[in-house]
Amino acid sequence: MKQSAHKAILMGALALLGLAASQPSPFGARLEAAVRSGGEPYAQVLSAQDQAQRLCTQHRSQIPGALLPQFLQEQKALIRYPRGGMLLGEWQNGEKVFTDPKRGNCYACHQGDPKQLAYGTMGPSLTNYGARGQSEAVVRYTYEKIYNAWAYVPCSLMYRGGVHGLFTPEETADLVAFLVDPSSPINRR
Amino acid sequence: MPKSMPLTLLLAATASLFALSQQEKPLDPFEEAMKQRQQYLQTFGILPGDLFAAQGEELFHAKRGPKGKSLEGCDFGLGAGKLEGAYARLPRYFPDTGKVEDLETRIVSCMERIQGFKPEEIKRDEVVALTTFVASKSTKAKIAVRPQHPAELAMYNLGRELWYTRAGPRDMSCAICHDNYAGKRVRLSPVMSPKEGLGSEWPAYRFEEDRMYTFENRIQFCYTSVGIPAPAFYSEPQIALTTYILAEASKAGHSFQELPFFTR
Repeated sequence: MKQSAHKAILMGALALLGLAASQPSPFGARLEAAVRSGGEPYAQVLSAQDQAQRLCTQHRSQIPGALLPQFLQEQKALIRYPRGGMLLGEWQNGEKVFTDPKRGNCYACHQGDPKQLAYGTMGPSLTNYGARGQSEAVVRYTYEKIYNAWAYVPCSLMYRGGVHGLFTPEETADLVAFLVDPSSPINRR
Repeated sequence: MPKSMPLTLLLAATASLFALSQQEKPLDPFEEAMKQRQQYLQTFGILPGDLFAAQGEELFHAKRGPKGKSLEGCDFGLGAGKLEGAYARLPRYFPDTGKVEDLETRIVSCMERIQGFKPEEIKRDEVVALTTFVASKSTKAKIAVRPQHPAELAMYNLGRELWYTRAGPRDMSCAICHDNYAGKRVRLSPVMSPKEGLGSEWPAYRFEEDRMYTFENRIQFCYTSVGIPAPAFYSEPQIALTTYILAEASKAGHSFQELPFFTR
C-alpha cells in the first residue's frame, strides 16, 4: 500500500519532469504558434530542424569553442562514400550537378567555368581549382567539403548537399572531378 | 475590371522588348534595371508599376463588397483614409483588430470589416494592386518602423528569431546571406542587409518576372529559392520578418525608393 503510494508519487514527479523537459519556453511556444500560422508545408520544414541546424540557429552561426569538437565529429560521421571508395568520378556529369539549380546550384555563389558569366560571389571562385593537383589529400578534402561543408566550417553558408541528398556519393565524386580534372572546363585555359 | 484589359495587352507587348535587350555579357543589375526602366518610359510613357497603382486607386475608392463601402474608411495608422506616409510606419499594432498588421494584412482586414468580404472572396491580385497604390503614397519616405507596443516588440523578436533560423534542405537562414555576405551577389543579384536598406524597394515591378512583387511576395520568393515552402500570405512569419527587416532599416536611417520601384 505504502509502496504503491510512493510509486504513484514517483511516477507523477517523472511525468512532470518529462513535461517540463518537452515544454518549450513561453517564447518558444509563441514562435511555434507563429510558424504554424505560416501554413503546414512551411511549419513542417521549420520544425524538422536537425540538431546541427538548431545549434547554428541558437548560436547565430558561431558555434562556441567548447562545442566545436563534438559538432565537427558528428558532421564528419554523416559523410557517406561511394561504393568502391572511388572519390573521383566523371567531370561531365559533375558539371550537370554543379549547374542544376535543384541540385548543386553552385553558380549561385561560386565562379566556375569562365564562360559562365552569371555566377555569384558569396563563395570563393573555383575557376582553375585544379591547380591544387589531384593528390589523395586534395581529392578527399574536396569530396568531404562538398558532401558536408559543416564537417569543416560549422554553420557555413555552404550547405550540406550530400547530407540532405541533393546529390548522391557518386555524384559528389563527379563534382570533385569537375573541380580537379585538368580537362574540365573549370581548368581549361 | 475595365483597366485590366489594356494592362494585360501592354504587359504582353513588353515581353518582346525584354527579349530585344538581352545581351551576351550581363550588365550590372542596377544599370540593367535603369536601362529597362528607360525603355519602358520611352516606349509606353508609363511604368508597369504605375498601372498597378492606378488599378489600386480605382479599387480603393470604389464602393464594393456586401456592405457597398469604399476603403476610404480604412485606417492605416494615421487616421481613416490618411495615406501619405502611412506605409512607412507599417507593420504596427491596430487596436481595432488587436493585431500587428503589415500593409497587405491591413488591406485584407479592412476589406473584411469595412466592405464585408469573406476571407475566401478576397482576390490576391486586388490586394497587390491596393498595396501598390497605398505604398506609392510613401514614395521616398523615411522608413519609420519603431516597435513600441508590446505586441509590436513581440513581433519584432519573432522576426529576429526567424531571420536567424537555419532550416530546410539547404541549411539556409535569412541572416547567413543577408548579414554575413551583404554586398556580394547571388548569381547576378546583389544581396543587401537591412542595415544597407533591404526592404526599401518593395512593392516593385520585377521586369524579369513581369509581375508586381509586394514585400510578402518577396519574402515568399526568398524562402522558395532556398528550398523552404513559403509562409502563407498575411501569416505571422510574414508580418514578423517584415517588422524585423524594416525596423532594422529604420535604425540605419533608410528611406523608401520611388514606390512602386522598378527592379530586376
